[in-house]
Amino acid sequence: MQHYLLSLLIFTPLLAALIALFIPAEKKGVFFSLAAGACFVQLVFLVMILTGYKAGASLQFVEQHNWITIDLGTWGVLKAEYFVGLDGLNLPLVALTVPIMLIATLASYSIQKSVKGYFILLLILNAAIIGSFVALDFLLFYFFFEFMLLPMFFLIGIWGGPRREYASIKFFLYTLLGSILILIVMIGLYISVQDPDVPGKITHTFNMLHMSNPINYISNSILDPNHAWKIGSFDVRVLAFVFLFIGFGIKLPMVPFHTWLPDAHVEAPTPVSVILAALLLKIGGYGLLRIAYPVFPEAALHMSWFVGLVGVISIIYGALNAMASKDLKRLIAYSSVSHMGFVLLGIASVTTEGVSGAMYQMVSHGIISALLFLIAGVLYDRTNDRMISNYSGLASKMPMYFGVVLIGFFASLGLPGFSGFIAEIMVFLGAFKSHSVNGLLPTSLAVIATLGLILGAAYYLWTIQRMFFGPFSIKGNTSASQLPDLIRSEYVVLLPLVLATLFFGIYPQPLLDFINPYAQYLVDVVISHGKVIGSTLNH
Amino acid sequence: MVTEIINSNWTVSCTIAALCLPLISFILACIIPNRYSWVVTITSLLLLFVSMIMACSVSLTILNNHEYWSIATTWFSLSKVHFTVGFHVDSLTVLMLPVVTIVSFLVHLYSTGYMAGDKNVKQYFAMLGFFTFSMLGLILADNLLLLFVFWELVGFSSYMLIGHWYDKPAAGAASKKAFIFNRIGDAGFLIGLMIIWANAGSFNLESLHHVEIYSWQTAATLCLFCGVIGKSAQFPLLTWLPDAMEGPTPVSALIHAATMVAAGVYLLAKLFFLFTPEALQVVAIIGTITALIASLSALVQTDIKKILAYSTLSQLGFMVLAVGTGSPQAAMLHLFTHAFFKAGLFLGAGAIIHSLHQLEHHTHQHFDVQDIRTMGGLRKELPVTFITFLICGAALSGLPFFSGFLSKDAILNSVTAWAGTSLSWKWFIVISAFAIPFLTMLYTFRLIWYVFFGENRTKAIIGQAVKFGEVPFVMRMPLIILSVCSLWFIVSPNPSEFHGWLYHTLSVTPEDGISLTTVISAGWVLLALVVSYFYFRNRSIESSTSALSQLLYNSFYLDKIYEVIITVPVNKLTALTEKIDIRWVDGFIHATVLVNVTLAHVISWFDKYIVDGGVNGMARVAGSVGSVTRSFQGGKIQLYIFWAVLGIIIFLISMLI
Repeated sequence: MQHYLLSLLIFTPLLAALIALFIPAEKKGVFFSLAAGACFVQLVFLVMILTGYKAGASLQFVEQHNWITIDLGTWGVLKAEYFVGLDGLNLPLVALTVPIMLIATLASYSIQKSVKGYFILLLILNAAIIGSFVALDFLLFYFFFEFMLLPMFFLIGIWGGPRREYASIKFFLYTLLGSILILIVMIGLYISVQDPDVPGKITHTFNMLHMSNPINYISNSILDPNHAWKIGSFDVRVLAFVFLFIGFGIKLPMVPFHTWLPDAHVEAPTPVSVILAALLLKIGGYGLLRIAYPVFPEAALHMSWFVGLVGVISIIYGALNAMASKDLKRLIAYSSVSHMGFVLLGIASVTTEGVSGAMYQMVSHGIISALLFLIAGVLYDRTNDRMISNYSGLASKMPMYFGVVLIGFFASLGLPGFSGFIAEIMVFLGAFKSHSVNGLLPTSLAVIATLGLILGAAYYLWTIQRMFFGPFSIKGNTSASQLPDLIRSEYVVLLPLVLATLFFGIYPQPLLDFINPYAQYLVDVVISHGKVIGSTLNH
Repeated sequence: MVTEIINSNWTVSCTIAALCLPLISFILACIIPNRYSWVVTITSLLLLFVSMIMACSVSLTILNNHEYWSIATTWFSLSKVHFTVGFHVDSLTVLMLPVVTIVSFLVHLYSTGYMAGDKNVKQYFAMLGFFTFSMLGLILADNLLLLFVFWELVGFSSYMLIGHWYDKPAAGAASKKAFIFNRIGDAGFLIGLMIIWANAGSFNLESLHHVEIYSWQTAATLCLFCGVIGKSAQFPLLTWLPDAMEGPTPVSALIHAATMVAAGVYLLAKLFFLFTPEALQVVAIIGTITALIASLSALVQTDIKKILAYSTLSQLGFMVLAVGTGSPQAAMLHLFTHAFFKAGLFLGAGAIIHSLHQLEHHTHQHFDVQDIRTMGGLRKELPVTFITFLICGAALSGLPFFSGFLSKDAILNSVTAWAGTSLSWKWFIVISAFAIPFLTMLYTFRLIWYVFFGENRTKAIIGQAVKFGEVPFVMRMPLIILSVCSLWFIVSPNPSEFHGWLYHTLSVTPEDGISLTTVISAGWVLLALVVSYFYFRNRSIESSTSALSQLLYNSFYLDKIYEVIITVPVNKLTALTEKIDIRWVDGFIHATVLVNVTLAHVISWFDKYIVDGGVNGMARVAGSVGSVTRSFQGGKIQLYIFWAVLGIIIFLISMLI
């Protein structure tokens, strides 16, 4: 049982989706219960995983089976595996995914339009997200990665707002561009890496762990770290890193590949926004930490200043755009761009503090952004209007809602006591320290990034001032009677997130016990491999 | 980490209890349902009372036995580094603990009267409790990271309490401004933390003591000083404090006079060992500028709370100046005395506002209850408020026999000692340091003459004989206690000598005797009193439109300057980034899509007309050829004969030719 927990986690929602296919579409209530039930079952599996997991950098709950093996004659052997496992990097993200999917499912209670299709897509998405977090075979990862795209496309395109088609196509095209770049690198890696465990004939593999060990590269292959190919004056491995950086950066999203996000969020229904912000964006950061950095350490060290720079630009540019936003959801979407910039900055520092902070930020942002989009959803459910300027003085009309908004906003702007503070302080310390520890980032990057904190306070507090303070009034087609305070079903989804962000803000050690060993391992591997490869290249 | 726990377990647990009780008050206020909000008043009052008793007993014990201690535990750790939560009690903490808890308790007590009937009284007491907790955490923290945590949390409580009456647009704007200004300073603080972390590898104050002097210290301490500039409202971030007066008056007394704004001075004193001489010069100059701007502005204000706010600013500047001149102990002494008399003044102002507000309510007439032009002759109407206000005002202006005289004297002594005898730019600071008490005296007594003496302008405004009600007992009591705490004996048994009860715990080298400075400063403030009597006693306050008074009234147009150099450019920048996103980034995407779609249309046209057209054309040619040839074989005999005849004729003609 223990060894199949990850597969159970992935296939439970798929099984539920399969069952749902055979239930007639008229029975609307059944689909909600089925999806929520699947999430609860996953939650049980998750608890079993968490209790069985031993803190440390090693892989656990590994399942490795042959998936595809084709003998290509003189071309060697093609080998792809069903290879999943958990370590400090993906466990926190899986542990984030399961509850967030449950919350998103619960928040979908009020969905009316083609309920059957909606919940089936949600379940498929669920499986794909978990699959891409736990896959350790590049092809398997890519398979799940692409599989997320379709349900997401339809969830925005069918259940979205007025400009849903535009938004979903934009989302699709952006992500497709990223996928193509990743695909190119994947093929390059596949050609270059052999499985050391299979003697004799060269066996090409998609195993990510083999890819991050320089010994496994076939000599003179395209991505061989010992004899770097060049295209013009570009080192191919650096180019491959840049491809992965852009590919995952689009997901993250980083400036200037971010404009799909505000549109997707504005159009997506609330639960889909929650999933998008809390989970899908994390695949970007995850891909950088799982693939780009360990596989191309010397290129990563070489390009780190650039990664950090893009991070800082995202932080400030996102914050400025959030301030300019007139739509509440758009504002939150841009704040996501700003906060995910910290992930880039932390990773780029390649210090224990920075990488731990980046990983912490992914979990923290997952919780806080879910909370923020649910908050925006509360208002939208009541009035179908998210324009900030149409509201004033809501604090007196909806005091409990105002309380939750305060918590969400202050958590997001990094008030101590909330999880974002821990993450951001670690990123700042790491990014600044990088200059003296490994010389990757100039100290000015961290210094400039502090502007993001000021801007963050500015756009959130300005929003509170405009929407919640002052005498109560609303504009547009809404009446005051449409604005009751929070109802029970809203508390059910909001309170766990509030408690989680408080818990991880006050008591970060449990999460750090998972995160930190991997962060430390990654820093050591990237620095040592990067230096070794870098020195062979120079000779 | 030096952990000295010698028979002091009792003080440790008392301190922790004093810290946690206000937090419990906050939590209780959050969970007690709205309809029982009166319970909250009682619970928070009780908890704060116990907290105060514990904090004071801890302070008294430690003042006697000098057993300083620290306890620490790991908060979170990365592989090699640990971040700790720890509390450290030293001479500064011992001084601050009673200040925070006593003023906080008195403000709680006062608020039960002042805030009675407020619809959000529960949230109010919750945030007061939370503030007290954060403030106590700030003064107890043994490392910079934890200090920064509480530093931000007091800023948050301040935001919530300034914006307590959020229906008022001005309150919303002021609370936002306060938090953002604090954040600007805190960004600097954070950079300071980063510099220290990268270079010293520790946030622990004890370990930082052992760090040798390095070149980074000037930069680090100046960055930390940015935090002080934000929190203690120093130049150039000073304008948030006068605006913060939109909050309830007891809040102004607690947060924006006695404790939170003084936290910056506390931080300077606590980190004094890190500051390099260059950094201290900057500190001294900033303090001086702040004090001068604020005390000049206080001279022309007409809002009673604004006058006190500017006065707070100038006193804070004065303290910062003292730290800059190398005397954190004098600054701390002034912080200590200032907390009581300024809280007393604010609560006194609150009492006046409260009774005028009642009056407004009874007579159904609207007038500005905070404008001193609507007051006058109140000594007869509100005798208790008058006496206490007078005592606290005397302490503020530094008259002998009051606490302010001694602490001001300590600062002046240290400033003159610092400047030395040779003439240098330092004498500018010395002259300013003497000018500030003079100005303080002028604006304080301008306020007192105007509000409590002369004819009763309120009656003139209302136009009928009215009965003023003195404030209720729960509000009078704090006033009396605070005014008693503004007398000389709180500092020293000898009213002319500031090394009394407290100063020796702060400073290791006591200076002795009544110095010349003490005598001069006594004469100097008395001169100021005389000047203020003759200049302001019978002077009516007209809203002067002269350029100078407008300049001072608007505190040198700092807000306008911020608007020009910060707000407007940021707004332009946000508009620009929005435009970049829409026009360039999305524009590029749309253009790419457009090119693709156009290309697709071209290809589709090509397919349709060239490829398909070609195929269709061939078919059509074949078809038409077919239909032509087919027409030859119509099956009609006549046609066949016609074609055959035609063929023969053509054949014959060709043969003939």
